[in-house]
Amino acid sequence: MENEKLIANPTIVLREEFDDWAVLFDPDTGNAYGMNPVSVFVWKHLDGNHALEDIEKKLRAECKNVPDDAGVFIKEFIADLVAKGLAGHKFQNA
Amino acid sequence: MKLMNTPKSLELSVTNRCNLRCTYCSHFSGPGDVDHDLSTEEWLKFFEELGRCAVMNVTIQGGEAFIRKDLKELIAGIVRNRMRFSILSNGTLITDDIAAYIAGTGRCSHVQVSIDGSTAETHDACRGKGNFEKAVQGLEILRKHKIPAAVRTTIHRHNVNDLDNIAELLLEKLRLPGFSTNSASYMGLCREHAENVQLTAEDRSSAMATLLRLNRKYDNRISAAAGPLAEAKMWMKMEESRRERQKSLPPCGYLTSCGCMWSKIDIRADGVMIPCTQMSHIELGRINSDDLKSVWQNHPELKQMRERPNIPLEEFEFCKGCEYIPYCRGGCPALAYTLLGKETHPSPDSCLKRFLEQGGKLPDVL
Ligand code: SF4
Ligand code: SF4
Repeated sequence: MENEKLIANPTIVLREEFDDWAVLFDPDTGNAYGMNPVSVFVWKHLDGNHALEDIEKKLRAECKNVPDDAGVFIKEFIADLVAKGLAGHKFQNA
Repeated sequence: MKLMNTPKSLELSVTNRCNLRCTYCSHFSGPGDVDHDLSTEEWLKFFEELGRCAVMNVTIQGGEAFIRKDLKELIAGIVRNRMRFSILSNGTLITDDIAAYIAGTGRCSHVQVSIDGSTAETHDACRGKGNFEKAVQGLEILRKHKIPAAVRTTIHRHNVNDLDNIAELLLEKLRLPGFSTNSASYMGLCREHAENVQLTAEDRSSAMATLLRLNRKYDNRISAAAGPLAEAKMWMKMEESRRERQKSLPPCGYLTSCGCMWSKIDIRADGVMIPCTQMSHIELGRINSDDLKSVWQNHPELKQMRERPNIPLEEFEFCKGCEYIPYCRGGCPALAYTLLGKETHPSPDSCLKRFLEQGGKLPDVL
């Protein structure tokens, strides 16, 4: 599962606010979720070309002061997105 | 306060037309009463910009929104651009067909229907003969299609003594979860009929007491952002604070009443961007010609409106010596404009001191 590419639900809206914080908005339910800058970084990489570990690598390469346990945070965050139907695993042909 | 990159929501006057001419209508004969509507294509193009700006919600209104033959196409454009929508309506043109369509989108937060009376006599007094039945029918159609239906009651001279019956109709007979109230305010057509429709200080006192009593009876199912119920709550708090000589509570003591311009912007039926439908005279730009994000962030008039909260009430001759200054927020800028010709002023309509001077009385109990 961890090597599977991840993709954002295309219906979901990312509203970028000030200071790199953002809101994810699901227009079908009206639910909105606050996002910190790391979550925003992860969300922007749910493009069907990145798996969980690719995202963590990119985060460490592109951002300063990434905490050691960032991988755990990313994993939990993605699991939460998938559970809420906001993201999923990209279907790949055999 | 930090400004969002783009507005979170917009109110769209999709038409200047209406099948009614309510005597207190704030739209007609005001600055929002423009000479033409935009085409379907112009709205659809603008919705794409709203999608790019990550706008979350739009409120579709008029005039009367359901008068537009292309309403389905407009709603489809809103849905395609990942937004939710609400509709404000007089309820008289809602059909099974359009209700089924709205329900099918799954994106409708609510449709608000105006019901001003418990009987045709009180409702139609300002809205015109035959419209009570049609509005109630419109409401029933919405509910049949399981569309969240909201009701707004505008309180005026002809229904102020019907509030008990209105609450009974809406909350007991029709079993709505709640309804909201406001009152006829000095804008648009109401300016011509003010003597006949606007509440006097005595009417306002009576409406405040009645609505508070009804809210005790009905478990706070009546709400208000303006009008006698909102005023009762705000003014009683102000009076209590004055009596107990409490310290000023921020953001009181300044012109802080309206925060709309921090989260939303509106569009007139002719496509002109405005800060609020009640302030249609302030033209900020034109859709599909001016960039929404840039207008939102940089327009000098909007910046000036957002500076209102830095203006202390004690600077105004109008408020000189008033004991309520530390507990007052100055009221609606649109009403200040329509009554005095300037937005950066406390609204005489929201002024507790003036209300008491006119013989108004606050309800006894909190
Ligand atoms: S108040 Fe509403 S329904 Fe009445 S005339 Fe004005 S726009 Fe039409
Ligand atoms: S005069 Fe009116 S608006 Fe001014 S502070 Fe007093 S109550 Fe508020």
